[in-house]
Amino acid sequence: MKKQTRIIIFGILVLLIAIFIYTSLFIVNQEQQAVVLRFGQIKKVVTEPGISFKTPFIDNVVKFEKRLMLYDIEPERIITADKKTIIVDTYTIWRINDPKTFIESMRSVDLALTRIDDVVYSNVRDLVAKYNFEEVLSKKREEILSEITKRSGENLKQFGIEIVDVRVKRTDLPPDISKSVYNRMMAERYSIAAQIRAEGQRESEIIKAEADKKVKIIISEAQKNAEIIRGTADASVISIFADAFGADPEFFELRRIADIYKNSFKDGMLILSPDSPILKFLYEEK
Amino acid sequence: MTDNFEIFDVQEEKPKKRKNIFKRIVWLVIVLLILGYFSTSVYQVGPSEMGLVLTFGKYTSSTGPGIHWHLPYPFQSHRIVDIKTLKKVEIGFRTVNYRGKIEYQTVSEEALMITGDENIVNLEAVVQYRISDPVKFAFRVLNGFDMVKFATESVLREMVAINVIDSVLTSERDRIAMETAEKVQKILNEYESGIKVENVYLQEVSPPEEVVKAFDDVNSAKQDKEKFINEANRYSNDVIPKAEGEAQKILREAEAYSYEKVALATGEAQRFKEMLEEYSNAKDITKKRIILEAIQDLLENSKQKIIVDSSDTLKLLNLPEIGGDLK
Repeated sequence: MKKQTRIIIFGILVLLIAIFIYTSLFIVNQEQQAVVLRFGQIKKVVTEPGISFKTPFIDNVVKFEKRLMLYDIEPERIITADKKTIIVDTYTIWRINDPKTFIESMRSVDLALTRIDDVVYSNVRDLVAKYNFEEVLSKKREEILSEITKRSGENLKQFGIEIVDVRVKRTDLPPDISKSVYNRMMAERYSIAAQIRAEGQRESEIIKAEADKKVKIIISEAQKNAEIIRGTADASVISIFADAFGADPEFFELRRIADIYKNSFKDGMLILSPDSPILKFLYEEK
Repeated sequence: MTDNFEIFDVQEEKPKKRKNIFKRIVWLVIVLLILGYFSTSVYQVGPSEMGLVLTFGKYTSSTGPGIHWHLPYPFQSHRIVDIKTLKKVEIGFRTVNYRGKIEYQTVSEEALMITGDENIVNLEAVVQYRISDPVKFAFRVLNGFDMVKFATESVLREMVAINVIDSVLTSERDRIAMETAEKVQKILNEYESGIKVENVYLQEVSPPEEVVKAFDDVNSAKQDKEKFINEANRYSNDVIPKAEGEAQKILREAEAYSYEKVALATGEAQRFKEMLEEYSNAKDITKKRIILEAIQDLLENSKQKIIVDSSDTLKLLNLPEIGGDLK
């Protein structure tokens, strides 16, 4: 029994020592930083990872994140210098860089976030309002953001907060303005479409007119040549006849007149005078 | 268990054995506690992961895949970071697994972006990233995923805002994706996040739903234009060869006319010449014969022949009634 009691006492002693060591040491992880408080008073700040000492039961350790944190700020309507309303959605990358100051002025991360919200927000508002919509959108974006980051950083430095980056995630138009943009886009596209169709018709008319012109040229050219061919032929005919008939114009005349006699009285009425040479022999017989 | 055992034991009255068993149980509990304690020191690292060992909270070494152990709490602890898996952030849409089927849902407020010419475009993108430096990733940043997502959203909007809608929709797609990847990487490097952006892929880049019809109309207008031109070409291809044919016809007709006329004239001229030769041989008689033949024909061809004397009595003769053709 005596041996057993000794073991128990030894065990309790070991336990007490362990508890004492455990409460007088604390570990700060790589991603953490810590502040040692004694009755609300800051005794020590540990920013490097490792093992540290504190007075057991009296000191209180508060640990904070050392890593970069992302805080998404609620989107808000802002009016730009050229009186356009846009919805700006920002976020902040921040970290606690001075845990002592941080705990003195902020106490908790939640409170810090509301402060970051206030500061970044008012800076975003101030700066965006100084520029035109187009500049906010693209040209001056970087400049505005780095100015916001710089100003917010200065404002929040006193709280032990470092603002690493402020960025605009979205810059959108409010729904009613979006709608008018859509209408404009549609009008624009429809007018482009109309233009394209009209161009098509223009091309089509040009091609058709060109074709009609070619047709006319081809036909009239052919007709011209045809007339020339006919004319040449007619001329040849004249010269052939002139050549032939010229040999004896008297005989030609005779033949022509004979032809006229033959053909021109066809089915007509012939009135002959008694002294007509045709009836010459008729009267002689009597 | 122990209670039941005790009841049986009391009846049997064997204190020595009972004590032994009690001792054994105490030892077993102690061993289990120690084992339990040491089990916190054993950890497993998966094939795509890396283990980071912290000694008293300070990072000291890294371990690869496999079973490892370190000193138990509070001396050492570990973190496990997935370094090989390609992670993905979706912007403008979400992949949803709906009853085993993969579907995509557009998230309009993320996807709609303003272009430089103040139009709105619907853009969906995927960012693939990997953890390149597990130590930085584990100890430098808290919300790695959100940092990639937000930075990409921010940069994409910036890129879209410096381009006009038509180039975002067509020619500048690749360049936007590439430059976005570069810029996001630069931002993440500034944070020392240990994240490597592998790729930015633009998925759907389209006009917003509200205006799709108008954009489609432009495409159909282009088709219409082609159609008009093709129709005109068809017309042109139709009439010109026909006209050429017609022209050939006109020319051939003229040539035919020409040949015919000349031929006839030549024939007639030749006939005249032949006749003239005969006529020259017997001029007077031939002349008379010709005249008489003509008179014969004249008489034969006329329908009515009237002989009147020269006493002027024919003054009131009604010629049409008689049947003469008064041409």
